[in-house]
Amino acid sequence: MFLRILDRLEEILIASLIAGATLLIFVAVVQRYAVGVPFLYDIFYDINLTWAQELCIYMFVWMAKFGAAYGVRTGIHVGVDVLVNMLRPAIRNKVIMFGLLAGAFFTFVVGSMGAKFIVELYPTDQVSPDMEMPRWIIFLCVPLGSYLMCFRFLQVAWSFWRTGELPHHDPGHVEGVVESPSAARDLAAEERGR
Amino acid sequence: MNSALIFGLLIALMLTGMPISIALGLTVLSFLYVMTTVPIEAVALKLFTGIESFEIMAIPFFILAGNFLTHGGVARRMIRFASSMVGHWYGGLGLAAVLACAMFAAISGSSPATVVAIGSILLPAMVAQGYPKRFGAGVIATSGALGILIPPSIVMVLFAVATGGSVAVDPEGKRVLSASVAQLFMAGVIPGLMLAAMLGGTTFYRAWKNDYPRMTRATWGEAIKAFRDSIWGLALIILVLGGIYSGLFTPTEAAAVSAVYAFVIAVFVYRDLNWSDIPKVLLSSANMSAMILYIITNAVLFSFLMTSEQIPQAITAWVTGAGIGQLEFLLFVNILLLVAGNFMEPSSIVLITAPILFPVAVGLGVNPVHLGILMTVNMEVGLCHPPVGLNLYVASGIAKMGITELTIATWPWLVTMLVFLAIVTYVPELSLWLPRVLGML
Repeated sequence: MFLRILDRLEEILIASLIAGATLLIFVAVVQRYAVGVPFLYDIFYDINLTWAQELCIYMFVWMAKFGAAYGVRTGIHVGVDVLVNMLRPAIRNKVIMFGLLAGAFFTFVVGSMGAKFIVELYPTDQVSPDMEMPRWIIFLCVPLGSYLMCFRFLQVAWSFWRTGELPHHDPGHVEGVVESPSAARDLAAEERGR
Repeated sequence: MNSALIFGLLIALMLTGMPISIALGLTVLSFLYVMTTVPIEAVALKLFTGIESFEIMAIPFFILAGNFLTHGGVARRMIRFASSMVGHWYGGLGLAAVLACAMFAAISGSSPATVVAIGSILLPAMVAQGYPKRFGAGVIATSGALGILIPPSIVMVLFAVATGGSVAVDPEGKRVLSASVAQLFMAGVIPGLMLAAMLGGTTFYRAWKNDYPRMTRATWGEAIKAFRDSIWGLALIILVLGGIYSGLFTPTEAAAVSAVYAFVIAVFVYRDLNWSDIPKVLLSSANMSAMILYIITNAVLFSFLMTSEQIPQAITAWVTGAGIGQLEFLLFVNILLLVAGNFMEPSSIVLITAPILFPVAVGLGVNPVHLGILMTVNMEVGLCHPPVGLNLYVASGIAKMGITELTIATWPWLVTMLVFLAIVTYVPELSLWLPRVLGML
């Protein structure tokens, strides 16, 4: 139950961040040109969007950290598996397990480095250049995202241990593609009919 | 000594099959704890600031724009337009496949998705018209790779990002900045069109020799209607290139605008997407972008380690000292990248090798834009041959053919690509002419 909520939260967070950042930059560009139009000048002049770039960068950094954790769950982080796939199954499973645990270890170290960094940053009053947001809030994504990623690696390792299966990402997935012979026949008939 | 250790460790970790980003990060971490005097804090800061640049943010925007238009409906429009243009020539549907792949791949930004979208429609149609299956599968598996050379291209953004911070000195001792995204996009136009023409030429020749069926010529009315249908999608390329060239927006802004444009086209003009599909598109784009941004973060760490160990400088000094010329060096680069293409996917290769190759190449007088295009072409070739050519895998899925058979099927086009690679390598003007004429170089 708790896991389901976590999964959903993660998905909502990264999807809204990418959508929000896109709209933000689009609006900033539109505003820049709208100011140049005389009768729109009064409406748009007072809106100041100089902070848009900075906010966009931070939104994407957050999306990157949490999205990387989501990516472990969907199996999108690929590696060099040519050699591994040639090994005998028993050894292959051990090597894969080593890779997953190494991932968990690395993200744990990075998360801890990030946590230490935040603890040092918190008492200082460092703020970001444009929005003047406290820097420790911005960097909070590093420990949070990395620890979540560590958790995801452990989760995947656990299910690999139990079921022997890894999440798999399909790079060639396309919506709205008909893979039926009848559709192909229709197309061919259409060509002949002309 | 240190450089041998760094690369040895990296390769050993990568061969265990762990994600490339993790292998890069672990190499840096273990090296820092054991070997070096670089303060850990400096590295920790890199972890946070590594992707804090507005230029990098073009990548998620372009991925989002591409995913909005990665849809079977868009593929069908491109195919109809392409076959109304070239369908009546020899190898009609084959030529249409090359053209449709070029258009769809440029818009969607994904080679494997292009192979699936175009292939699952055109391949059965070609078989039904009496083409051998091998011919169709070969055309589509190779043409799907065209997308990374025709702008907007994510590989080019990655090249600009990977080499952006480094300083290089040319043979006359002048400092040279790396190529910008705008320059690379413009530089890719002519090689992209030329490769499409060469793949089309091979298709035509083989169809003409074997007398494969042609289609009836489309009427002007049909052609115009097909053009009107597909122009909305194709306008994305014009929007990006035109917007950047005219100075209306920076590449990143162009990417954001094209994402909104792609959304409007997909939902309101083409109506391929329902509102309920939007969260899925957002999520898969965020997933893909985060994966690439995560590799970038760790690749930045890795190149920071290499710079602090002075590895690129050492290689440059060695290369110039050994009297290696531009010709030999570029040959070596091609071989290195083709070999790397056997094991890794394009974004990782570019992020790892570009920071090392860039200063050496500039030291020998190679233009950074030329190097960027050359690397991009290498990545295309890598997508089309075993053991990891992604295009081959997805093509084998839709064609229901084994990898070995498919590899044989693709060879005429693969050889064409290699010939093209040689031309691009030794005729720099091919890449440099257009940006220079437009005053961008």
